[in-house]
Amino acid sequence: MLKYYAQLERYEGNKALFDMIKMSMVSTIANEPLHIHAEGLRGTGKTTIMRKTQDILPPIVRVKDCIYNCDPAKPHCPVHRGMSAADIADIGIEAIPMPFVEISHSAKVGTVAGSIDLAKLTDTRKPEAGLLPGLIPQAHRGILFVDEINRLADTAPEITDILLDLMGTKPGVVQIEEAGLPVVSVKVNVSVWAASNPDEDPGPVEEIRRQLSDRFDMVCYMGRPTSIDVLARMLKENFHTTKLEPEREQMNLAAIMKKHEEYTETLLRWAEIYRESDLPDFVRNYIARLYVKHNLESIRAIEAMQQGAVLYSIINERDQASINDVTRILPLILQHRMDADSLIRVINDDSKGGSMFSTGGKKAGGKDETAEDAEFFKKEARPLKDLKRKDLINTEKSIDFNRD
Amino acid sequence: METGQSHVNDAASVANYLGLYLGQDQGVRLGDSVVVSTKAHRRMPEKKIKGQVEILVNADAGQTYLNYVDVDQMVHIDVHHMPGNVDAQKVALTIYWAINDYVIEEDPQLQYADDVRFKAIAAYAEKIHITTNLGQGWLFDIMQNEMEPYIEGEEGEDHVHILARLNRQNYALIYIIATAVEDAIQQSGIKLAEVRNITHGKEKKVMDDFGNYIKLPWKKFKGKDAMLMAPDENVNQLVLKLAEKFGGVEDIEEWMQMYSTNIFKRKGADFQKKKWGDIDHYVKQLEEMGLMQKTPLGRVLTKQGLAVQDYVIKHRIELETEIRRNIRRVPGGRTSRFSKIGQSDQDTTDVQLVNYNRTVNKRDNWTGNMAVAQTVVQAKKNALLRGDKRLSIKKEDLHFYDKKSYIPIDICLLLDASGSMAGEKRQAASFLAQHLLLTGKERVAVVTFQERSARVVAPFTRSQRELTKGLQTINPAGMTPLAHGIMTALELIKNSRVRNPLLVLITDGIPNAALWTMDAQADALSAAANIPEQKLRFICIGVESNASFMEKLAQAGEGALYLVDDLNKENLINLVRYEKKNIVKK
Repeated sequence: MLKYYAQLERYEGNKALFDMIKMSMVSTIANEPLHIHAEGLRGTGKTTIMRKTQDILPPIVRVKDCIYNCDPAKPHCPVHRGMSAADIADIGIEAIPMPFVEISHSAKVGTVAGSIDLAKLTDTRKPEAGLLPGLIPQAHRGILFVDEINRLADTAPEITDILLDLMGTKPGVVQIEEAGLPVVSVKVNVSVWAASNPDEDPGPVEEIRRQLSDRFDMVCYMGRPTSIDVLARMLKENFHTTKLEPEREQMNLAAIMKKHEEYTETLLRWAEIYRESDLPDFVRNYIARLYVKHNLESIRAIEAMQQGAVLYSIINERDQASINDVTRILPLILQHRMDADSLIRVINDDSKGGSMFSTGGKKAGGKDETAEDAEFFKKEARPLKDLKRKDLINTEKSIDFNRD
Repeated sequence: METGQSHVNDAASVANYLGLYLGQDQGVRLGDSVVVSTKAHRRMPEKKIKGQVEILVNADAGQTYLNYVDVDQMVHIDVHHMPGNVDAQKVALTIYWAINDYVIEEDPQLQYADDVRFKAIAAYAEKIHITTNLGQGWLFDIMQNEMEPYIEGEEGEDHVHILARLNRQNYALIYIIATAVEDAIQQSGIKLAEVRNITHGKEKKVMDDFGNYIKLPWKKFKGKDAMLMAPDENVNQLVLKLAEKFGGVEDIEEWMQMYSTNIFKRKGADFQKKKWGDIDHYVKQLEEMGLMQKTPLGRVLTKQGLAVQDYVIKHRIELETEIRRNIRRVPGGRTSRFSKIGQSDQDTTDVQLVNYNRTVNKRDNWTGNMAVAQTVVQAKKNALLRGDKRLSIKKEDLHFYDKKSYIPIDICLLLDASGSMAGEKRQAASFLAQHLLLTGKERVAVVTFQERSARVVAPFTRSQRELTKGLQTINPAGMTPLAHGIMTALELIKNSRVRNPLLVLITDGIPNAALWTMDAQADALSAAANIPEQKLRFICIGVESNASFMEKLAQAGEGALYLVDDLNKENLINLVRYEKKNIVKK
């Protein structure tokens, strides 16, 4: 019996991941993607936690039978694009679970982006050439999960390119190309979730595809559980009697489902707040100053800070985002974008100017004092033109050090 | 024109001397106020006596100031003056006209051939870079008033800082430029300053002062930022910093043990230095952070130090992962400087893999992995052209998945473990071995030679544990028995199943322990002569100072020689990666 989301154990090492998926879910519900990436050793529960969120994802409403998940309010797919509200009403609408689509390692460009529809093509009665959207367009308004993204980036650069396009802008773009058919480009609002073990072949994503790693708004490193209580509880969950007698589990099921409903409601409530919320100007300025002061490389990073700070304050039930929220999410946002040393400097807000809040008037005392010494050279020199030829060249040895 | 005549003669005579001194990497004081060399200069801050300038013989001027890759490109001329602002444009113009006069004096005909003369001056002018305390730029740009601002704290504050790309034949211009700059300074109403003395020294590596910005949770911090701190990240980073120096978690644990209160675990500075190189800086930093303190017993870890030690033990697995991650990182940013002599050529074999994202329509043979969907689509298209009634699949419709290939290269590192490799060089070589193992798909072996023998530290392996364990046993000491090393490595390669083996020799010395005869060098050369027989790729990485022997060695082994200025890890990694990348299928 697989566990449910509500049963997942929470501890210090995976808190960051839980925060991240909450933020991303809220953002996705509000129709703004937030791409996240969990890195950690095998067995730390990255994949399990991410997959289990399906239990609590709220449903979405789409135009009936639209495989592109068209929002009835603003249809975007090649079929429903430009239709009037009345036309849409004729087709009807339906609620479906929010898409949670997984890309596997045998994925091909065709299955991921889209390809020629073989069923239509080989139809003996009415053969026609049409496009079959791939997994990504079908994940619109939902989540796309890529397990072991480092391996995918290594073995399938073509699919990585598609991901780069998808994650390059918000909303992202997927282009479906097939010989003999016009190119179709679809806007897709998908949050990409990825998991990887940087310690296994072929190594961390940033070493394989730098751009791909930068596309993720947030990255967290998973820690192993260290508390004995937590581990004991985990063992109990996996005890054979619990596994072999699902009835026992069933007794809890109602309680679990109720909890899931609560989670879902909370997510929807948060998303509603997120739609309305704003970031105070001084926090925005603080973020902008971080960018300038620490020479951050990527604008994506500060965009993610802005998005993340608001989301973080919401999932912690605070009315407004503060600088504190920014500092809390800094490690998530920056650790894959800069080396650890610079990250620590940003987190501790240490740089030559002293604290960010100081006016910068006083200079650090440690400055090289010799540079300031205006009287380093005392004696006036004779110009070259006045010198005799034999005095022109002086070496270290020929200059009498002990003179005057 | 009598003074002018002597001017040219002075310039020529100065040029002769300069050729002599600069060629030996020495600097000179030209007259009283000018210091000339091909190196970087700095004031002597340590000494009480003022007015001394130090020439940093290990810091090339072009590299230091203009980020050049090659050395000895630039002559560095500093004309020192008393406090006052010097207009860069005035300096530029004065130099320009001085060169003009010089060109005419050299060849009076040019007086009447403006365009030729202009061309000659221009050729020099675009090679001269000027910095004064009011601006900087290339001579031509400054003359057109296009200059960059002077940056406070950099070169040029109390002297006019000139970099000129001159070769030896043109050294006479140094005198011309120097006198022109002196003129310009004096015409600005500023007096020239006498450089009291020059000395030659080495630039010390600036040590990373991490004790400054890593903030440990238990240290009291004041102010409102204090609550925003992330304690774990800081401790983590401290450990990673130590790992950079000491190599691994085990090494950090071992090192920290040496500062425990248990006398039996303590080991002296000599032992530490041999294993990890110069560690004084790290001891100081830990002291500054309050993790270590001096006691009558010597230095011991404080309570906080013990807490860090505890953190290391508890989070060993995570820390090791992060360290491996750092080892995988390809050193970027600064470009390695090296010269390559010769070429290592051998046939290669490759491994074929199926590329599932590319299909090909092969006409000649039809073996391989068939792409069904592509085939059906193609058949459908062709059926239309063929006029078939129903879907049929013909040979010409077949699509197959494409193949891609890669060349596996198993690397055997042959490391010099003689006394001179102790400390940082040993660590750099160990780092290289681990980096190669973690970033590649191939196996790595390590053979070392020292005293009078050689040994296999790690056989060809893909296991990081096995490799690190072996690397930890390297303890550089004694002589350099290169011939032993080569023969042991050859034996190892012969007895292992290896693919496209690459033998990488890393040494900073010349062999001085013989194997067969009394002549260590000759033995090494005859050992190397066995390399081509085994169809091995062979590269040597050495330092400039023993270039001539290394060149012979590379020739004997039909390999390539890389000369670097420093056997640091960036250089080593970049070189081996470069070599690997350039092995292509033949």
